[in-house]
Amino acid sequence: MTPAIEIRNLAKRFNVKQGFFGKPREVRAVDGVNLRLEEGATLGIVGESGCGKSTLAKLILGLLAPTEGDVLVAGQSLGALDRRARARLIQPVFQDPFSSLNPRRRVVDVVAMPLVAQGGLSGAEIRAQSLAMLERVGISAEMAGRYPAQLSGGQRQRVAIARALVLRPRILLCDEPTSALDVSVQAQILNLLAELRRDMGITTLFISHNLAVVEHVADAVAVMYLGRFVEYAPAKELFAAPRHPYTRALLASVLTPEPGLGVPDVGLGDAMPDPSNIPPGCRFHPRCPVAIARCSTEAPPLVGGAECHLLTP
Amino acid sequence: MSLLEVRDLHVRFGQTAAVRGADIVVERGETHCIVGESGCGKSVTSLAVMGLLAKGAERRAARMAFDGIDLLPMNERALSRLRGDRIAMIFQEPMTSLNPAYTVGSQMAEVRTRHKGGTRRAALDRAEELLGRVGITAPGLRLGQFPHQLSGGLRQRVMIAMALMNDPELLIADEPTTALDVTIQAQILRLLAQLQAELGLGLMLITHDLGVVARVATRVSVMYAGQVVETATTAELFANPRHPYTRGLLDCLPVPGKLPPGSQLGTIPGMVPKLTEGFRGCGFRSRCAYAQPACEADIPLYGTTHLSRCVLSA
Repeated sequence: MTPAIEIRNLAKRFNVKQGFFGKPREVRAVDGVNLRLEEGATLGIVGESGCGKSTLAKLILGLLAPTEGDVLVAGQSLGALDRRARARLIQPVFQDPFSSLNPRRRVVDVVAMPLVAQGGLSGAEIRAQSLAMLERVGISAEMAGRYPAQLSGGQRQRVAIARALVLRPRILLCDEPTSALDVSVQAQILNLLAELRRDMGITTLFISHNLAVVEHVADAVAVMYLGRFVEYAPAKELFAAPRHPYTRALLASVLTPEPGLGVPDVGLGDAMPDPSNIPPGCRFHPRCPVAIARCSTEAPPLVGGAECHLLTP
Repeated sequence: MSLLEVRDLHVRFGQTAAVRGADIVVERGETHCIVGESGCGKSVTSLAVMGLLAKGAERRAARMAFDGIDLLPMNERALSRLRGDRIAMIFQEPMTSLNPAYTVGSQMAEVRTRHKGGTRRAALDRAEELLGRVGITAPGLRLGQFPHQLSGGLRQRVMIAMALMNDPELLIADEPTTALDVTIQAQILRLLAQLQAELGLGLMLITHDLGVVARVATRVSVMYAGQVVETATTAELFANPRHPYTRGLLDCLPVPGKLPPGSQLGTIPGMVPKLTEGFRGCGFRSRCAYAQPACEADIPLYGTTHLSRCVLSA
């Protein structure tokens, strides 16, 4: 079966000049990502700021052209498609519902925009479909006539979800969809997304720094570090038995609401990852609490979903 | 005598009541967390204690005392002698709270010389020692750097070191790790807990994150719609939450191991009420399953050690 989305050796490099006379430096934001995701599955992508999550999201959405590699949605290469065709296949929901909705358009018109851009439907049909989708995400027809500024953060995120789903795309890409929301609102949005995924059978990429949320929603999880997936495994396995030392550190630093446990010692030191200066060998070795000599010279092989020397037999 | 005692604090901005009944007591050597969602008044409460409210804000309280010293009648001059000295504060955004035009060293030294006098050289030595203490490598080098040359985690460490320059007795930290990655958050919170234990500080920590609360707090106060609605020791609050809002909030969290992945999360229906002039009674009643006519009147905090502002706790 053709996977819903396939990513082959994807890379994106930027040339950044430092200062007026500075030498241009190469930032390897995404550095060789591979992925296959079956129809209807939800993949969580986790990692710290600067690991390349957002660049990866932009590549998958076709908002950036890759330096190398390819993204295939339902067997079609994104690079070979025009914007309209791409929009029918994949749609985003972004973090900030305050800046991702046009403040000067009514909610119903915000949701109608993708249908208008596709063409081929009458005004009445477009309105009917937009209102139906808004209803589906819990926004009443009365609220649909308001402007985004008149809605709460949670309601705006519902509108953003309606806009993403109104074209019935194959893939929904959520980039930190609940990070700007309060926990009570976050729960509502996560429940809504779960319901929509079930009903519409939509394949979802869920980018988040919140591991508790990812564990709750994802079937599979990719852990990203300096532009690569250092571990990629079914969610159950990854959370029960993380293999890569970085995954273990990330999981250890999650503060679950259980009193009496204190704050764990993550043991990562303060060497910050820098995508313009990726260490030789294993890119995680300067922060790795269990690194051995080989880690600083040789790139680790991929063993059972994780890239780590310690996992080689 | 408590280190910080705030009784029945009210803050108004024009027609809006931002805080309408906050009671917070911080003892020496304890971490008191104030938790709540955006707009609940938790940051305004901390700013009111420090006398840092924006112009036009009206503040009144039955009592507000630091180490027995009444803060209410103090003028700006007297307050600024206390701030940065016996009471220190750390904010969420280390980028905006450090001055981009001065080196780390000169900002830190100023805090010392301004309150304690002494030479700049001595102050810089102390700054270097404290930077080392908060886990910054090559502290001597960092003194000469500007804030933009540091990562977010390092900047927050600088803020903490700066707050410790004059051996404060009370440290108020407003969302100190919200802008940071989870790995860095764990490091910073561990550091704060360590320093607090070593120095015997009273720490008032403001956060929206119940995970942070569970792991670092001695006592917790939950705020909703401008009021402290529940106060208890951390173990007691998580094991036996009394206020319906606290219970609702705990149900919203995806807790690995307790809730199967993909299952429905608890939610709190409805929205926070507008706190306009004349709003009385429980702010949660429009969203509460147990609301009754008595909720429309002013409700006191019931209880002796585990306090709850709910008619059901009467």
